[in-house]
Amino acid sequence: MDFDLGAGAAELRTRLRTLIEQHFDPGFLGAFTDDPADLEATQAFCRLLAGEGLLTLAWPTEYGGGGGSLWDQTVVREEMWAHHEPRGAQYMGLNWVGPAIMAHGTAEQKALHLPPIAAGEVIWCQGFSEPEAGSDLAALRTRAEPVGDPARPDGWRVTGQKIWTSYAGMAQWCIIAARVGAGERHEGITMFLVPMDAPGIEVRPIRSMLGPHHLNEVFFDEVPAGPDAVLGAVGGGWSVIRTALAHERVGIARYARCERLLSEMGRVLAPHWDELPPSLEVAWARALVQVRVARLLAYRTVRAQENGEVPDVAASSARIAVTQCDQAVAEVLFSAAEHRSLEAGPDAPVHGALEDHWRYAQAATVSSGTIEVQRIIVAKSLVKGASA
Amino acid sequence: MNPELPAEAVELADAAARAFAALGDVDLARRAEVDPSIRATEVAPVLDRLGVADLDPRDDDVTLAAAAALCEAAGRVALPYPLAAALVRDPDGRPTAAVPAGAARVDHAELFPEWRVGPLDGSAAGVASSTGAALHTRLGPFVGDLTPAAGDGTAAPYDLLVQQCLVAWTVLGALDRAVALATGHVTGRVQFGRPLAEFQAVQFQLADAAVAVAGLRELAGFTLWRLRAEPTGARADVLALRLHALEAARAVLRSAQQLHGAAGVCDEYDVSVITRMVQPALRLPMGAERTATELARAIASDGFAGLFPHGADLRATGEPGR
Ligand SMILES: Cc1cc2nc3c(=O)[nH]c(=O)nc-3n(C[C@H](O)[C@H](O)[C@H](O)COP(=O)(O)OP(=O)(O)OC[C@H]3O[C@@H](n4cnc5c(N)ncnc54)[C@H](O)[C@@H]3O)c2cc1C
Repeated sequence: MDFDLGAGAAELRTRLRTLIEQHFDPGFLGAFTDDPADLEATQAFCRLLAGEGLLTLAWPTEYGGGGGSLWDQTVVREEMWAHHEPRGAQYMGLNWVGPAIMAHGTAEQKALHLPPIAAGEVIWCQGFSEPEAGSDLAALRTRAEPVGDPARPDGWRVTGQKIWTSYAGMAQWCIIAARVGAGERHEGITMFLVPMDAPGIEVRPIRSMLGPHHLNEVFFDEVPAGPDAVLGAVGGGWSVIRTALAHERVGIARYARCERLLSEMGRVLAPHWDELPPSLEVAWARALVQVRVARLLAYRTVRAQENGEVPDVAASSARIAVTQCDQAVAEVLFSAAEHRSLEAGPDAPVHGALEDHWRYAQAATVSSGTIEVQRIIVAKSLVKGASA
Repeated sequence: MNPELPAEAVELADAAARAFAALGDVDLARRAEVDPSIRATEVAPVLDRLGVADLDPRDDDVTLAAAAALCEAAGRVALPYPLAAALVRDPDGRPTAAVPAGAARVDHAELFPEWRVGPLDGSAAGVASSTGAALHTRLGPFVGDLTPAAGDGTAAPYDLLVQQCLVAWTVLGALDRAVALATGHVTGRVQFGRPLAEFQAVQFQLADAAVAVAGLRELAGFTLWRLRAEPTGARADVLALRLHALEAARAVLRSAQQLHGAAGVCDEYDVSVITRMVQPALRLPMGAERTATELARAIASDGFAGLFPHGADLRATGEPGR
């Protein structure tokens, strides 16, 4: 056994930390703040990473990637999330829209979309969820009507409503799931690649405790899409979603930010550590254990992927541990910040990162598949295993 | 044995609930976030009409219970007003609030020119005036700081305990409402072809949350009784109530938000507003960890009421240690 990710990984980690330190001030809290300069900084950083060959480190070489290992990818994931995702809104394009296009796209789609993603020039958003289709994604109602001969359409008109669409207001492109034909459930679901400046698209921000720049409603009113906008087969959207999500199985490395914030706040508290309430010291120690376990469960998923397995159950287990860890650590950090916990902004404890983290953590067990859905996956596999 | 609130308290709470609903229910908090002046122009007059100015929780059993029920009603709508502090006034009309040791920070600080404050450990109480600025953050929009001011107004330890007990009643109201909101949401929301409320995993979350609120309610009532029965010995009781309120809040608000899905973090949904607005009560004057530590110390020095002796009472009764 060996739990060291190796010298290459350590070197990559150091390199990423150095770059982040050089290009962001310590108060950077991600792209979705009230300060538009933060989004710009992340856009510039993506171009810089692209120039350094780090943006698509994990992409196959045939698509201009670095052909890096899954462990390199893990290091990138950890360092980016630990430092408030300096790739901003672009990680979605890099982590799974790009790979989904590699797997299902035509030569033209690859040529059109992969180079700008690899160059750090484009923001993608993901239009899956709808008001009536959350956990039950197959209930989606957004429709795509063929233009001209339905057997060989000249294009499509997309009509419907998406909700909770992250960064829709910043994105240039959207990958959306819409239904073609009269099918039900998974039948007819088709993926479309649509530019966000197409006529008929309206984005309305949703005010939330994450701030006003993250979640959105997106309305599609007869939005024109060409025949070349379909990703994969017409009606084959469900399998695109499934394989696309395979690239995102490991999920966000939330444990990395948790550990970094515990370390940063530990630094703040160090001179007065003896004055802390003993129960906080104990909670702190427990939090460090929880963070470690979450990381190891995430590594187990990466390991399974490395072995060519489809790690559904391992991934769901990891997600449950990681998102619960996020919320538990948020509480411990607030306990540690005591009466200053509700402060925000650069003068707040750890530059406002604790307050920001607490707010975002409240959504951790919902975004990209709720913890209940993950539990269903784990439980089903146990029951199936027992009855097999 | 009678764990019920007196009828007068229930009546006052009902009247308050109607009055707060007429002001816009949880929308009142949303409006106050945009225009904090409505706390003085809209909320204060309604509290006057409810008789808050003539209600002193330190008078007798009934006024204490009435104040508690009123605070619960306030918590249910995230009333943008420091009601618990305002109910425990000094003779000059200053509100009383427990503050963190070494930092006089309270919710709605600038709503009153002067406060009477002190930490729960009994040290350094006094009069303080608002610095005028509020945090304006999403989790503490009205939280502000106080600075020491001249004037005679030592906050009696008992007054601070009463205020903290009333804060816990406010939290109770917020949690009870959160469970009701979650129940309503999962009853109306259909996924997988049926209301979410039909899934047993959803029912279990609701049940756990409801049990947590029920337990907190009993403890909150018991603590009122202790404050009357043992005015000088209720410190551990109030700290116990605070600790339990904080821990229940964490679990109950989490479930209530979770059962709303993404809507649970969204301003349009009351559960999200209530979760944000109750944060100052959960963090000030101290969070769960420090409260737990203080409680452990209080039990060691004062004992803890129950069927058998604990802490200091063990030594007092000469029970052999093990
Ligand atoms: C921060 C954030 C970012 C997001 N970004 C995007 C995005 O970019 N694009 C996009 O398409 N979507 C996005 N989403 C939406 C997300 O995918 C959905 O919120 C999620 O799938 C849950 O759907 P819902 O919110 O409608 O909750 P619901 O499905 O209504 O669920 C409500 C509650 O019921 C529970 N529940 C549902 N079914 C069951 C069951 N069978 N058994 C037990 N419990 C059940 C859920 O777990 C949840 O707790 C985002 C969400 C968040 C919070």
